[in-house]
Amino acid sequence: MTTSHPFHLSQTRRSFVGLSAAAFGTLALASCGSDSGEEVDVESQNVGAMDDYAADAQFTATEPFEVSMLWTDWPEVPVEDSWRIFELIKELTNVEITLTHIPFSDATEKRSLLISAGDAPTLIPLVYTGEDAPFVSSGAVVPLSDYADKMPNFQKYIEEWELSEMINNLKQADGKYYMVPGLQEVSVPAFSLVIRKDIFEEVAGAVPNTWEEVHEGLKLIKEKYPDSVPLADGFEAQSMLNYAAHGFGTKAGWGFGDGAVEGADGKLVYAATTDEYKQLVDYFRGLVEDGLLDKESLTASNDGSGAAGVDEKFAKELCFAASGSSGTAIEFATALDATVGEGNYSITLIPPPGGPAGDMVEPRNFWHGFMLSSEITKSENFLATLQFVDWLYFNPEARDMLRWGEKDVTYTKADDGTIELDDGYSLDDYAMNAGAETDIKIDLGFSTFPAEATESRALKESYSTPEFVQYIDDVLSTRTPRDPFPPTPMDETELEQASLLATPIKDAVDTATLQFIMGERDMGEWDAFVGELEAAGVDRYLELLNTAKDRFVEANG
Amino acid sequence: MAPDAPRAAPVKARTSRIKDSTSYKVFTVVNMTVLVLMCAVMLYPFVMLLAQSFSSAGAINAGKVSIFPVDFNIDTYKAVADNGAFWRSYGNTVVYTVIGTTIAMVLTTTYAFVLSKKHLRGRGLLIGIAVFTMFFNGGIVPNYVLISSLGMKNTMWAVILPPALSVFNLLVMKAFFENLPTELEEAAHIDGLTWFGIFFRIVLPLSKAVIATMVLFYSVQYWNDWFAAFLYLDKTDLFPVTLFLRNLIAGASTAASEGAAASGASVSDINANIQSVTMILILIPILCVYPFVQRYFVSGIMLGSVKG
Repeated sequence: MTTSHPFHLSQTRRSFVGLSAAAFGTLALASCGSDSGEEVDVESQNVGAMDDYAADAQFTATEPFEVSMLWTDWPEVPVEDSWRIFELIKELTNVEITLTHIPFSDATEKRSLLISAGDAPTLIPLVYTGEDAPFVSSGAVVPLSDYADKMPNFQKYIEEWELSEMINNLKQADGKYYMVPGLQEVSVPAFSLVIRKDIFEEVAGAVPNTWEEVHEGLKLIKEKYPDSVPLADGFEAQSMLNYAAHGFGTKAGWGFGDGAVEGADGKLVYAATTDEYKQLVDYFRGLVEDGLLDKESLTASNDGSGAAGVDEKFAKELCFAASGSSGTAIEFATALDATVGEGNYSITLIPPPGGPAGDMVEPRNFWHGFMLSSEITKSENFLATLQFVDWLYFNPEARDMLRWGEKDVTYTKADDGTIELDDGYSLDDYAMNAGAETDIKIDLGFSTFPAEATESRALKESYSTPEFVQYIDDVLSTRTPRDPFPPTPMDETELEQASLLATPIKDAVDTATLQFIMGERDMGEWDAFVGELEAAGVDRYLELLNTAKDRFVEANG
Repeated sequence: MAPDAPRAAPVKARTSRIKDSTSYKVFTVVNMTVLVLMCAVMLYPFVMLLAQSFSSAGAINAGKVSIFPVDFNIDTYKAVADNGAFWRSYGNTVVYTVIGTTIAMVLTTTYAFVLSKKHLRGRGLLIGIAVFTMFFNGGIVPNYVLISSLGMKNTMWAVILPPALSVFNLLVMKAFFENLPTELEEAAHIDGLTWFGIFFRIVLPLSKAVIATMVLFYSVQYWNDWFAAFLYLDKTDLFPVTLFLRNLIAGASTAASEGAAASGASVSDINANIQSVTMILILIPILCVYPFVQRYFVSGIMLGSVKG
């Protein structure tokens, strides 16, 4: 999820005026450092802190204090300072949250500005892995790895959910990490293949388990429905390439990232130049040649919904499988209700099919977490603030509170852990108790973005549809998460060089990948394509990556 | 009443004129065609927006709406009208525009008047200071730090004061003032008017065209500005309506956060018709002002720029 999200967003962000994009890019470097040379002694900056604070314990500040927090203002969920969530947090912890609002439209740019100008609030939430890199050199954010021992809940759940190795991969070039991610007990790919289960079972005999079976199944469906083009991707192919790539032992689409994959000798190689990538492209090219993959859907611009008319084709039975999330499956179902009729079809999200590299799916992921502004290191409440954010992000009861609200008021939790929303409250986002007077999200502020950061499997399932719970189960029981490729944290100069090189190379890859798949370019030209990448400096780029990787391995074992 | 009389006159006039040559006729036809096409191209987005604002979200998403509304309804207008945040930010925009334009006009007219006096000592320096800012500025972060340390962050002054003097407008106005006959001022001087008297009672009343133009420039600038508000304001209560709209449009394209999508949420998109309604409501004031100011518009900017 973390790999795909930033790309998803950056697509829409391209519209942001070039001027400011460039300006913000360099802001971080030019920002005022806050290394004033003052000694930070977290133990003595302990006003409000609890002496006996421990994992799973309720945090209550011994003296009231304020924590300022950045809040991204979603247009459909306008934040209200009067929301019950802030009041409740104050009742529970003695901490008052004060908000700095930033509009969702340009949230990351504004965040960069605030951090760079030394004006950021203490708690900076909604930070995805890797987004701390630009702020490392400026000293504007706290190296949280130095204070991990003050966050017992964080420690406990890293251990319990076996995430400690992944935490190592968060380290920046200086060996520290500056953002603490949201922890997920289980993580499954959000996007996979949504299929008409009844048609596949009827025509192809079963739900496909591998890409080979997908190909066979689609062929049979095409025979039965000759007018159809049974497979589509409403996300400019980026989604399908992403989840398919793992089964082919490479990375592509949304998950392409820096493009580095581990080669046979342990050195990093550029994914698009490998045989695995070629094999992946060749597979989809085969689907297009057989008239099984909808070319139109690959080129229609992605408006964020990923519909690109695919839902209409589903409704008309011209398409029987497409990329999507469980939300997409619901959209398709709604469209089918109007044509085929409820009960006459069944639609489901299946685990990403396996490929030549096995039943692999994306590596386990963190979700968004937080950074702390360096200003807090000068505060007498430093220790208490660390304890507070640890409680807010990782304490099991705090997690329930962020998602469901006030125990025994808005929800009840049975002894077996089943959570039920009270009749007087709705959660429209998940179509729960529709029509009730108070919505726990819109009216009270629960179930907003902080709620999704850290989740146990039970909490995730508590609000998911039964189909999605089944999907989680299927993925976990039949698929293996790929090992993450080694991190390559770079210093400032390297980062700059690498991004200058990477952008044109990546653009060339995106264009050529689609051309090959759509049959606009002959597979015989593959070597020429690799040559183009070499001309664009892929070797120099890999050198930078490998240097960074070796340095990281040396420093961290 | 002689209804035929006025109609006859132009006919007569035309017959007495030299006949238009064929090439001129062709030119006119081509010219008209191109202009009509241009006009259509310019108008189409507005018409489509208007049609969308009266259509259902379903019809818009299906791409059925072009010039005429489909599934005509005014529910969206009602929904937007009920939205407190929209009207709050709309009110902010009105306040910023009115106060901002007033301040900007005071600054621009007085500065331009001073600069138009060629005998003023240090005039070159004063012009230089203004023109310098056309080419160089401090950049986003220093400006942000400056505004913060002046205590203007999270106040309307952060939005109003920084753009209150547009150097381009200043220079146009200066050129306009320079063209006013000096004899008028001399006469006023002899009659005992002070410089302020001359400015308020002689110069300003003679400058209606350029003032109307500048008022339009400034008010459109303040009305459309979102960037200053984005940089300097952290409270939703203070956001102008442009920032509200920007957020709305961005929200529509990315509301499908994968986190929500992953867990089977029925994604609460901001529908396309809500966007259209908001855009229409934001456009209306500017659209209403233009026709009234337009007659000053061309003359205002030309008078200032061409010295004769």
